[in-house]
Amino acid sequence: MVAALALAIVAVGACFHLAMVFLHVAPANTVSKQHGALVDDWVYPEFEQNWKLFAPNPLQQNIAVQARAELRTPDGELRQTRWYDLSAQDGAAIDGNLLPSHTQQNELRRAWDVYVGTHDAQDRPTGLRGTLSEQYLRRILVLRLARLDVGGGKDVMERVQVRSRSTTIEPPKWSDEKVNQKPLYRQVAWWTVTSHDAPLDSGTRVRVLAPTAGGAR
Amino acid sequence: MSRVEVPVTGRLATGVQRVTASALGPYQSAVIRIGFSATWLLFLLREYPHRQELYGPDGPWSWGMAQQLIADNDAFTALMWSDGRVWFEFVYAAAVLASLLLMLGWRTRTMSVFFMIGVLSLQNRSVFLGDGGDNVIHLMSIYLVLTRCGQVWSLDARRAARAREGLFTEDRAGPVLWWVVGLALSVTTFMGDLSGGWAAFFWGLWGVQGVWWYLNRRDPFGQPRLLGDVVANLVHNAALLMIMVEACLIYATAGWYKIQGSRWQDGTAVYYPLHLDYFSPWPALGDLLTAYGPIVLLVTYGTVVVQVAFPFTVFNRRVKNVLLALMMVEHSVIAVVLGLPFFSLAMIAADAVFLPTSFLKRIGGRAARARGRVLARTRRAAVPGQRPADGVEPLAAQPPTART
Repeated sequence: MVAALALAIVAVGACFHLAMVFLHVAPANTVSKQHGALVDDWVYPEFEQNWKLFAPNPLQQNIAVQARAELRTPDGELRQTRWYDLSAQDGAAIDGNLLPSHTQQNELRRAWDVYVGTHDAQDRPTGLRGTLSEQYLRRILVLRLARLDVGGGKDVMERVQVRSRSTTIEPPKWSDEKVNQKPLYRQVAWWTVTSHDAPLDSGTRVRVLAPTAGGAR
Repeated sequence: MSRVEVPVTGRLATGVQRVTASALGPYQSAVIRIGFSATWLLFLLREYPHRQELYGPDGPWSWGMAQQLIADNDAFTALMWSDGRVWFEFVYAAAVLASLLLMLGWRTRTMSVFFMIGVLSLQNRSVFLGDGGDNVIHLMSIYLVLTRCGQVWSLDARRAARAREGLFTEDRAGPVLWWVVGLALSVTTFMGDLSGGWAAFFWGLWGVQGVWWYLNRRDPFGQPRLLGDVVANLVHNAALLMIMVEACLIYATAGWYKIQGSRWQDGTAVYYPLHLDYFSPWPALGDLLTAYGPIVLLVTYGTVVVQVAFPFTVFNRRVKNVLLALMMVEHSVIAVVLGLPFFSLAMIAADAVFLPTSFLKRIGGRAARARGRVLARTRRAAVPGQRPADGVEPLAAQPPTART
């Protein structure tokens, strides 16, 4: 009797779980539109999944994230650095690498993805994820620029700016397709950098705004 | 259950008998246990130098930012219990240790829970870092908790076999581990770190472990003990089914969405990822592989066909095995060519749940013989002229099964 009950509970539970996961990965349809809240409640956060791997179409452009900084010299003057292609550095680190790190392959790439996905065309954040992703991206930029030692050890980073440079991948040689390979830029307004934006050991390279406990040590 | 003897109910009864009487797929569940834990272990070791940047309290995705997001999405992560550096190092080290012990099959049921805690803690702490490989391990770590994945190829199985041979010594580690876990659970519950659902889940698992130990001790052939076995088998079989369906869903989703893409239709899709700067560690190799249009077409169409077809082939042993081999080869190539070793390893581990038992036994036998040879050599080297290696037991030749 108890065994039969266990069998029923396990069978129903397994079928329910599989149905929820199926509706989560399937395209929006009659049933999932009607029971969207139930599916979301069950699937998020631990059973979230996305298997549109290189689908419906693989990404056909290289999106490079580039950054520059505005620095305050010890004499009190402002100076602007050139653009640094941070994605190109990631690419170089991945070249010939059998075990690329998430710091090289995912960190900046996904941070930019999330930033673009959570901001409108005027770079206004849409919701909490938008605000957080902006801070996240800024902190990555500060960390990366600090590692490049753009301040030369004495200049202080006051502002950073980010842009993306998208280039359509050249079609295969055996294809007669023609694409416009002129790079497309998306530039974000300058961001002020404070000690809240300095992860790990980059805190010495930025202005301490207020003596509060933030990201900096 | 009705006992009417018509063919359909007869078959149903046989099915019920099967899923209650035994934990099916002992080799398949063991190989995925080893596969996923090894993948995660290698990943953690590889990222060890970057752990602070990826998951540390002061990384780009800071502890405070993670806290804001988690307050919103309620994901589980032990890393939110403290923003201290020491706690972070402890959790990372514990995740490494849990992966290692789960791989070896030491106290498998307990270690599978710690493995899941390690995976969820790190991944949910920094959600914007993961890729498909992380996603697979995340899901499978949860399902593994529900399986009896240490029946073979585990230290648990070896201990059970020794117990049967009468070499039984009082099991002290088990109860000690149970009390330690109970204490840790009490502390985290008392500190209010666990949400209600997770607290119930962990206390439930802990309670079941205790009851199981007690039932085994009191009367290994008693009715309550047998009932416990039935429930454990049911849960295992359901979880194993979920792992298999999950793998099918991955392939089906990946395949069916591809069909809708113009590049997968015109046969050039495979060319593009190989020319993305983030996924081309060997640009020359990518160029070489895509030098001929018809080859790219073949691989592009082949990928879609295999992914879409796979879920339907699991009912045909021969076709399934051919596709399985093709997918494992493709994932091995992806590991190197697209620079996605951990994603590929995770996918190969997921594929392995469909490998036939005879094949797995053969591999296991070979591994055991190789291990025996290595052990013999090291023993001979260490103690010259001493006992030869015939005392080394083959781990898989005569599979001991553990009822844990």
